[in-house]
Amino acid sequence: MAYSDKVVDHYNNPRNVGSFTKDTPGVGTGLVGAPECGDVMKLQIKVNLDTGVIEDARFKTFGCGSAIASSSLATEWLKGKTVDEAGKIKNTDIVNELRLPPVKIHCSVLAEDAIKAALADYRDKHGDALAGAEAPTASA
Amino acid sequence: MNHFEVFELPRKLGIDTAELQRRFYALSRRWHPDFHQAAPPEAQARALEASARLNAAYRTLRDPIARVEYLVRLEEGRPTREGAAVGPTAPPELLEEMFEIQEALAEAKAGGLDADGHRRLAAERDRLVARHRDEEARLAGPLAAAWDAADAGERPRVLAACKQALATRAYLATVIDDLTEALGESQEGHVTHRRH
Repeated sequence: MAYSDKVVDHYNNPRNVGSFTKDTPGVGTGLVGAPECGDVMKLQIKVNLDTGVIEDARFKTFGCGSAIASSSLATEWLKGKTVDEAGKIKNTDIVNELRLPPVKIHCSVLAEDAIKAALADYRDKHGDALAGAEAPTASA
Repeated sequence: MNHFEVFELPRKLGIDTAELQRRFYALSRRWHPDFHQAAPPEAQARALEASARLNAAYRTLRDPIARVEYLVRLEEGRPTREGAAVGPTAPPELLEEMFEIQEALAEAKAGGLDADGHRRLAAERDRLVARHRDEEARLAGPLAAAWDAADAGERPRVLAACKQALATRAYLATVIDDLTEALGESQEGHVTHRRH
């Protein structure tokens, strides 16, 4: 199957590969998977607790080229967005940007799920208050 | 007409495969295109279609796992096209575990596999193969029986359990393939899953 240049680029030079320690204040982790193809995708955000802005994002995906490209692109888009803005990223945005063919749309869905899961985890840990004055997670 | 209806069977998972085969042979004879050569074209086309439907139904229902997969799709009435699928969810611990195995595998591959690493991966693979087998046994055994015994109120719960077991099995199959490939033992026939 012919991948678009953008997919190939993200696949060959994935952005923001890696991980943050889960318990670091400001970090939200999303781990999702697609049983049909066995892909697993971990996506993390690091939020500035004063501003509510996502300062950094990382991912690690074990799966096909489109799944890797979708999550790589997602981390690029997440950086600089507020948590609320990040929640508006849609899988269709990823499909359009990467020109994913219909059989690969589920890869973009997976990336959107990963974003949502990371945001939900962040909110779980830090509450919904945007000016995260009360961030009680740091137990150390 | 769904696969169960082709064989005039109720929508149950406990199927006597010997009986299924007998019905398959009988219906095959009825619909085989060779016996309809003298029929008018519409009748021939009908026979051909029935024959194809019968083969597809038999292929699915004779396999206890494919049978559950088919039932889940049928019950949910969802399209089978990719992208439209509402993914069956695996337990979070399983995802975590699959992720860790993939991570360890990637590291082992990057560092080159020494004899010790090879042995460790092989042991891991064998452990997962056993779990894959257990999951299939659970689907074909207790879960299938639970579906057949469930009343309308209990069905969603049993169906959800089936979906979870199918998802678990699918994840295990992928990671087993990846481990087998890394061990250099890949062989056709063993591979159940391939990424594209």
